[in-house]
Amino acid sequence: MRTLQDLILALHLFWKEQGCAIVEPYDLEKGAGTFNPATFFGVLGPRPWRVAYVEPSRRPADGRYGENPIRFGLHHQYQVILKPPPPAIQDLYLRSLEAVGIVPQKHDVKFAHDDWESPTLGAWGVGWQIWLDGMEITQFTYFQQMGGVDLDPVSVELTYGLERIALFLQGRESAFELRWAEGLTYGEMFRERERQFSIYHFEKASVERARLLFDFHEAEARECLAQDLVYPAYDHTLRCSHLFNTLDARGALATAERETYIARVRALARACAEAYLREVAGARAPR
Amino acid sequence: MPALLVEIGVEDLPAKEAGLIAQAFRENFLRALAEARIPHGKDRLFWTLRRFALLMEEVAEKQEDFEEEVRGPAVAVGLDAQGNLTPAAQGFLRRYGAGPENLIRRRVGAKEYLLLRLKRPGQPTAEVLRELVPQVVRGIPCSKSMRWDGKWSFLRPIRWVVALFGSEVVPLAVGGVPAGRRSQGHRFRGGAVEVRVPAEYAEKLRASFVLADPEERRALLLHAIRAVEEEYQAKAALSEDLWDLLLGQTEWPKPVLGRIPPEFLELPEPVVVAALREEGKFVPFTQGNRIAQVFLGFAEGEGDPELVRRGYEQVVGIRLRDARDFFCQDRKRALASRVPELKEIMYEARLGTVWDRVERIRFLCEILAEKLALPPQLLARAAFLAKADLLTVMVREFPELEGTIGGIYARLDGEAEEVARAIEEHVRPRGKGDELPQTPLGVALSLAEKLDGVIGPIRVGEVPTGSRDPYGVRRRGSAAVRLILEKGLRLDLFALIDEAAGQYPGEEPAEKVKEFLWERLRSALEERGVSHDVAEAVMAQRSGDCLGVWERAQALQDLVGQKELVDLALAFSRVRNITRGSEVDRFSPELFLEEAEHALWHAYLLVRERVAEAMADHRPAQALKALLALKAPIDRYFDEVLVMHEDQRIRENRLGFLTALVHLFLQVADLSRLVVPG
Repeated sequence: MRTLQDLILALHLFWKEQGCAIVEPYDLEKGAGTFNPATFFGVLGPRPWRVAYVEPSRRPADGRYGENPIRFGLHHQYQVILKPPPPAIQDLYLRSLEAVGIVPQKHDVKFAHDDWESPTLGAWGVGWQIWLDGMEITQFTYFQQMGGVDLDPVSVELTYGLERIALFLQGRESAFELRWAEGLTYGEMFRERERQFSIYHFEKASVERARLLFDFHEAEARECLAQDLVYPAYDHTLRCSHLFNTLDARGALATAERETYIARVRALARACAEAYLREVAGARAPR
Repeated sequence: MPALLVEIGVEDLPAKEAGLIAQAFRENFLRALAEARIPHGKDRLFWTLRRFALLMEEVAEKQEDFEEEVRGPAVAVGLDAQGNLTPAAQGFLRRYGAGPENLIRRRVGAKEYLLLRLKRPGQPTAEVLRELVPQVVRGIPCSKSMRWDGKWSFLRPIRWVVALFGSEVVPLAVGGVPAGRRSQGHRFRGGAVEVRVPAEYAEKLRASFVLADPEERRALLLHAIRAVEEEYQAKAALSEDLWDLLLGQTEWPKPVLGRIPPEFLELPEPVVVAALREEGKFVPFTQGNRIAQVFLGFAEGEGDPELVRRGYEQVVGIRLRDARDFFCQDRKRALASRVPELKEIMYEARLGTVWDRVERIRFLCEILAEKLALPPQLLARAAFLAKADLLTVMVREFPELEGTIGGIYARLDGEAEEVARAIEEHVRPRGKGDELPQTPLGVALSLAEKLDGVIGPIRVGEVPTGSRDPYGVRRRGSAAVRLILEKGLRLDLFALIDEAAGQYPGEEPAEKVKEFLWERLRSALEERGVSHDVAEAVMAQRSGDCLGVWERAQALQDLVGQKELVDLALAFSRVRNITRGSEVDRFSPELFLEEAEHALWHAYLLVRERVAEAMADHRPAQALKALLALKAPIDRYFDEVLVMHEDQRIRENRLGFLTALVHLFLQVADLSRLVVPG
């Protein structure tokens, strides 16, 4: 795998062969691929569902002005959902590593206990971080709940950290040195963006306007839910979630207030999940 | 008799919990076999994070036969007036296929019943196991169980089951997985492993790159660690947590030695240690108080050591660069400047923020400084800064550095060395086996912190019950007692609690706190080898001087079993028994009539003086020795004096005197609580 895009394409090919629909990133800011409707709604309800996609994931607080070799305000996840998971799911995951050119037998591969929880989505699961020679390259989760709803069947979520795997494959110390494509580095593509967003999120973003926007999107989501418009309601929930992350990175939230914001987003996510199960998964749409 | 092997194959268990799961499996299994009356020989437990297995020798092929009584209808219902069976009794017999000749009558409680005594032949063991094994596995407590196919829940999915009785597969199923003789070797090297008979289990797995015996893995890890220690003249920075994780993380551990990039060796040693052993990844080593350049990792399986080493070093480099960033970021501000922000961190709804906690700790420190003759300004400064590191990135990222990093930053900020040390030490002891603070200020600050963590929660009703102890009140209580006993702190803990009472919200009385700490003291004494009755004796009267109680317990414990103590205890018991209920210890020697009364009185006066002297010097052994002199005069007193004299004045005077005698003893111990032989 000479480039990061080779890595993505190899994963696409591998998971396509496993019957996954390869879909595109969702066009709103989000902290992780889990927030993509293809996961959030996909894991709800009884229908089998397999999907894979790249998700550019924004975590404002993780920004480091483009100065840290492995921490960014926006990183790339490769997300796979398998519902229900096949029994040999661990082996299948290891085969996907082989597919991108990592021979697990030559390395120290550990499935290290790491349960996952998203307080804003009202979701949790149990599973592992996969350590490749000590580096965390994938989050492997058996989802148990989403939007506060018990899942049946459960889904497995695989989240590959693309930058980290590429560092490994390309033998680099800094993600900015990675080749995205031949003749194009990750640094050339993203370093300035990292710097600017760090300035914005840590120093400049207007706390007052972010709060107003949060209130606005929350109200809008409520309005949509009142009319059973689940998807638009969820979009506004995502916007609230990102605005919360912005306020948090800006250092604008005291502990108690922080909890309150999380609870507000969670309440919306829960309402979306319930409305989806009632209005959509029941009858009207294929899934 | 054949051997039995049951192995449950699972997806990777949390490394820390794998051993506990295996232990619970064994305990449940042995209990279930005992209940099912299946005798067996020795057992051996195997586990890794992907399996737990019990091998049992000489397992009986069937259950022992047994007799069982079943109760039928009451006689009044089962027999009619003529003594014939009613339809109810006939139905009862039919249900068990028994004839009327098998019936017996017995009174159970108030009524007489008809009963059947049934012979139950034991079932074949293989038959019993079909039900028993799944129940055993279901009964294993998991920290957080999951569903994977809707029907079962367990810590992680169950993927294979081996159940062999002799050379036969037992047709059972666990977690929806039918048992067979096929186990799994190492994930990459092993493949499927056919087990023909239980005895070959461990060897077959070893040939497939799995060390199923945890002791064997432990020895291997230890050997590798010792080798590095020797070669580099360094000491492994192990912790209990790290050990558990290392032992649970691999089925086939392979030591890989790496080097820390030199530019990070300048970071404070505790930071590097924390970064390396985070999540049980690597074993750090120290040379004196510096970090050694080498670290050790244990790879799973037979990978390419060179590749793995490079990976390890890359990861360590990344994490240490993080740590350096955190350090630089934190150092932009003085620790003291962060303190006001503690007002934003909630400690407990009723107990307020961490800042409120700091204020209470400061108050306690003020009292402690006075009682322990410590410099009040320095202690107050340490208390003020103690919790500020909760606001640093370093503690957020490496929680085990709480306190330690506060001390490091304080020193860099130019705070007094005693203050920095006290901050560093105030979180100790973190657990039962952890070291105590060493400096006087550290001891005092730690004690104040622990006491606040006991008084606060208890005052608002959070007394720990069973395993529920969300605020770690029990741990802090034990730590407070330990500090007092091991650091020899002479202070009246209860007076301190009363003085601080006004600082705390909550409805529960301060009395509750004292009771709780008093019981912690009792456990502490018993943990230190004080027998139950000795603890009862020295704790007969509550006292806030925990150190004194401990000293008296030691003195008394030393005499346990000696004849003179037994004799004294017996003599004192007579005094104690006859005065039970009397509190008044007034008497006039003029009213003494008998020679023996005067003799005891004189002895009492002498001993009282000696006891007072010894106790003032904190030498309870001397006090006990002095009390021994009372044995003979007490015995004589009871031989010659009738306490319950018919004249009320004489009688009350005698009781008053003996009560005074009791009070003298109680200053040292209530010897009537001792369990004396015979």
